[in-house]
Amino acid sequence: MSTRVLIADDSETILLLLRTRLEMEGYEVVTAADGVEVIEAIQRASEPPEILLLDAMMPRKSGIDALRELRAAGVDTPVLIVSAHQDEMDAGAATDVEVSGYITKPIDFDQLFARIAELTG
Amino acid sequence: MLTGLAVVGVARFLQQRQDFEDSTARSYQVEIAARTRLANGEHPAAARTVILTQQHERERLRDDIGGETRDTALLVGAGLIAGLTGAALLFSGLIASMRRPLEELVEASGRLAAGDLNTRVKIGGLSETASLGTAFNEMATELQRRAGERDQLETMKDEFVLTASHELRSPLTSVQGFAELLMLERDKLSSKQADTVEIILDNTRHLVRLLNDLLDLARSDAGRLTLKPSPTDVASLVEDPVRTMLSQTQAKDQALTQAIATGLPPVNVDRDRIRQVLVNLLTNAHEYCAAGASIHVTASGNAGGVELAVSDNGPGMAVDQLDHIFERFTRGDAGLTQHVGGTGLGLAISKSLVELHGGAISVQSVEGQGSTFRVWLPALTGSGAEEPRSGDLDRAQAQSREEAL
Repeated sequence: MSTRVLIADDSETILLLLRTRLEMEGYEVVTAADGVEVIEAIQRASEPPEILLLDAMMPRKSGIDALRELRAAGVDTPVLIVSAHQDEMDAGAATDVEVSGYITKPIDFDQLFARIAELTG
Repeated sequence: MLTGLAVVGVARFLQQRQDFEDSTARSYQVEIAARTRLANGEHPAAARTVILTQQHERERLRDDIGGETRDTALLVGAGLIAGLTGAALLFSGLIASMRRPLEELVEASGRLAAGDLNTRVKIGGLSETASLGTAFNEMATELQRRAGERDQLETMKDEFVLTASHELRSPLTSVQGFAELLMLERDKLSSKQADTVEIILDNTRHLVRLLNDLLDLARSDAGRLTLKPSPTDVASLVEDPVRTMLSQTQAKDQALTQAIATGLPPVNVDRDRIRQVLVNLLTNAHEYCAAGASIHVTASGNAGGVELAVSDNGPGMAVDQLDHIFERFTRGDAGLTQHVGGTGLGLAISKSLVELHGGAISVQSVEGQGSTFRVWLPALTGSGAEEPRSGDLDRAQAQSREEAL
């Protein structure tokens, strides 16, 4: 049984890149285009993802805002926030939401796979 | 008022003098009349008495007028002195009423020059000082307006760079990511195709470095470059970047050595940021020096702090180049830079970072013999450790916009 990863990013190209690399590593991938779709995908899923990979800044609902709602609803899935730069990480760190870690763009995939493996045990 | 007293005194004196002369004249008339009667032989005894009486009377009048003159002179003198004192008081009051606004203007100019653009003066005093005050206030208002406009432009520029670097990052992530994806299937590519993808990747990494550097500078300018300092052991601070660089220097057959003095005090630094500075200095040495060159890193105690130095026996720099080496987009000799992957921003960022730590960076170089870059950092002193600081030292006014993005 492969590990399910939910990825959210407003760029289709980035989603394609992430999906391709993650599937090559043997992960099962669910995608979302923004925070609203992230929450819908988790509510709809018969088997919830084991890790979330959320872009910090997305239209409609940001990764941080979606995460805040999920945590309030009792969802404790590990989350990696993908952020464009340090300022977003600082902004995320300033919130009270529990985050498992940050991945910066451009993505270092070796580092990303290591973090996912570590968090999904 | 007091001068009035002198005037009154003089008037009184003149009046008394007039009275004296009138009385004296009357006395002479009476005496002359008595002497005429005496000469005519009319009542000689009575006439003699009158003459004597009048002589006595005039003596009395003279005595009186003498005393009166003294009194009047005293009165006039007192009046004059009082008048002069009054005039002096009035004058000094006038000077004070001019001096106070002037002193306030001088003091306000000082504050304005020191950067307090909220400085205004109270308008008062003579009309000249009042109009000087009005002009000063108008000037301060104009300065404040222009400074506000400039700050607004600076903020817009900083925001633009921050936003641009954010927006550029997504497409760069895709370019780099897909190029890497291609390289994962390198065995399916022709060697020419593989070389092409390698070039795409090299340039993408360069773009990412440039973007990171621009972002650091924009943050520094906006006063948003924040440090997370902690007490740090100097040996590990130096060893880590040296270890990182070893594979690259070995590939170019360069000798990278280090000498760390024992017993150095710890420093209160943001480890990642000082690492960034040292990696930048080591990368410069590595890239500008020819194959086979020597790069030597030292750490020693100096002037209440720690000095980290990166020396090389590479091409060195000319004096006119040294003056601008810490400025943005300044790089070594153009003939060399075509082989060098730097962004031209590394030393400018290093300078910002070191100064943000309360330290200093300097360079010494002899053309054809080599260069030495020195980074001085203050030692961690007991409880008086440096507070974590935010902002660029060059722009103290940036402190008003420290909000996070």
